[in-house]
Amino acid sequence: MILATSCSKPHLGLKVPFVATWGGEIIQCTDSGIALSDLRFYVSAIELVDTAGKSQALELHEDIPWQQRDLALIDLENGQGACVNGTGDTFAYLVGSVPAGEYQGLRFTVGVPFDRNHSNPLKALAPLDDPAMHWHWRSGYKFIRAGVETPNDGFWIHVGSTGCEGTVGNISGCRFPNRVTVELSKYVPNSDSISVDLKAFFEGIDVDDGESTSCSAGPAESACVSPFAALGIDFESGNLLGRQQVFSIGR
Amino acid sequence: MRKVLLVLGVSAVLVAAFWWLSADKDYVWRLPGDIPAPVVPADNPITDAKIELGRWLFYDTRLSGNKTMSCASCHVQALAFTDGRTRSIGSTGEIHPRSSMSLVNVAYASRLTWANPLLDRLEDQALTPLLGDDPVEMGLGSIPEDFATLLETETRYKSLAEEAFPNDDNPYSLLNGVRAISAFVRTIVGFEASYDRYIRGDETALGDAAIRGMDLFFSEKLECFHCHGGFNFSDSTTHTNARVEQVGYHNTGLYNVGGEGAYPTDNTGLYDMTGERRDMGRFKAPSLRNIAVTAPYMHDGSIATLDDVIDHYQRGGRLIEQGENAGDGRLSPYKSEFIRSFELSNAERVDLIAFLESLTDDAVLTDERYSNPFLD
Repeated sequence: MILATSCSKPHLGLKVPFVATWGGEIIQCTDSGIALSDLRFYVSAIELVDTAGKSQALELHEDIPWQQRDLALIDLENGQGACVNGTGDTFAYLVGSVPAGEYQGLRFTVGVPFDRNHSNPLKALAPLDDPAMHWHWRSGYKFIRAGVETPNDGFWIHVGSTGCEGTVGNISGCRFPNRVTVELSKYVPNSDSISVDLKAFFEGIDVDDGESTSCSAGPAESACVSPFAALGIDFESGNLLGRQQVFSIGR
Repeated sequence: MRKVLLVLGVSAVLVAAFWWLSADKDYVWRLPGDIPAPVVPADNPITDAKIELGRWLFYDTRLSGNKTMSCASCHVQALAFTDGRTRSIGSTGEIHPRSSMSLVNVAYASRLTWANPLLDRLEDQALTPLLGDDPVEMGLGSIPEDFATLLETETRYKSLAEEAFPNDDNPYSLLNGVRAISAFVRTIVGFEASYDRYIRGDETALGDAAIRGMDLFFSEKLECFHCHGGFNFSDSTTHTNARVEQVGYHNTGLYNVGGEGAYPTDNTGLYDMTGERRDMGRFKAPSLRNIAVTAPYMHDGSIATLDDVIDHYQRGGRLIEQGENAGDGRLSPYKSEFIRSFELSNAERVDLIAFLESLTDDAVLTDERYSNPFLD
């Protein structure tokens, strides 16, 4: 043990699973009633917080094509049932390591960092090479694609940076970055999973009212207001409101 | 003196040699003397091999997810590369919010599409129709690998791709396919309308009505030329000699939903991209070249004929009396200052339409270099 610390610091291997839920219950593409129709999102800047309040970056294993060192694409849809626009492949957990320690918190950003968000997706490395996740006409990635299908209709949302300035290849900034900050305390490493609760996400939307509604983050889209608020973002101003309600510690 | 001449002579040979070498590689635009060359991105020079590859790809329905649709489905040569529909229809039947735009002289557009200030290169723009899923256009979205397989396995494409991208590790990539399509589309230029022949000195090229219509078009009374000015009849035009980048977006008072200037929510123009209220309903002034063959008009195809378009501008904004889009566009707070009502006699209207018809270049609508090679 002494020998190990003197050569290299021991590392803690970590898996962080994500689970799609509806009010805490697992939701799938093939469910009857309310079914998952899409759930894919980018996670970046992942950090664990130790008992002293100090944070350590989770270094993701880069040999997995869903991950770069500090960025991953979580894909919780399997292309079946209501997930008609999806893919058969899924990727449900982050895999990486941190320096060994006593950790009790997890924080991450849902979104692609600015420096990689506006480069050419046809030249990008995995997992930024997924055309379904790229928002070609807005320049940048869809940070989140999520949706549910219900007996009468459903709802879907695309979240990413909007109001970008410059031209593709030379984007100088975006008025609405729309990156979501997630901060979870009382997190038990290698035990807890992260619940992505679409019921909390779509709280203000009647997903079964017979009218097909969606939000692709355009400024005139009133259906974006409440889901963005659930992400902790004021849709009108783009400002961070406070805590997001969608991601939480699951059982 | 002899020495000077010798130096000059050697220089001339060197210059000629360089000219020959570069001429061998660079695409030579066949343009009238009064038209500047378009801007070509440095990382995608035009070559004959790329044009040839791009032309086949442009017309190949295998570039859509369900193999039913090519670029040419919405960009038909005889219609100046528009599709004649109010709004275009994607490969899976989804209706696009907007109307297909002409590709003639698109190489001169300083910004692409109706209202996207971010897009200034065809190479970037092409990704939306190919891969976009909101709405699905060609729907290549989840299967770009099929594209590479097509280029690598089909004999024609394999050799064209290798010729077009000789130094590339992977000539068959979608990236290169998009480069080739962009190179081909960039070469679709046309400046041989009756109007062009007239301004180059052929006084017989335009009839009296068209000449009177031209005077009206360029008058302060009608104000058409403020937005549809320059050699390409669009203020969002650029070229290799351009001093400044010209980009213009305008609200023409086409809608005033609810009386506060709103446009239908699926077509709010520049506002959708910037989120700035003042950008509500601002769209690019498209080139008016070949306008007589590109009906219906406006970003959403909501005006059927040139006659009706003139009604809209003559009134200084459109009145929609009922329905969900009801409102008087003339009273829109976001309307361009150049959209003012004007008097126009029936005879003047006929003249103006005669002028607009004189902007049709039959050569570009039939040129075999831009036609469907699968039909040859």
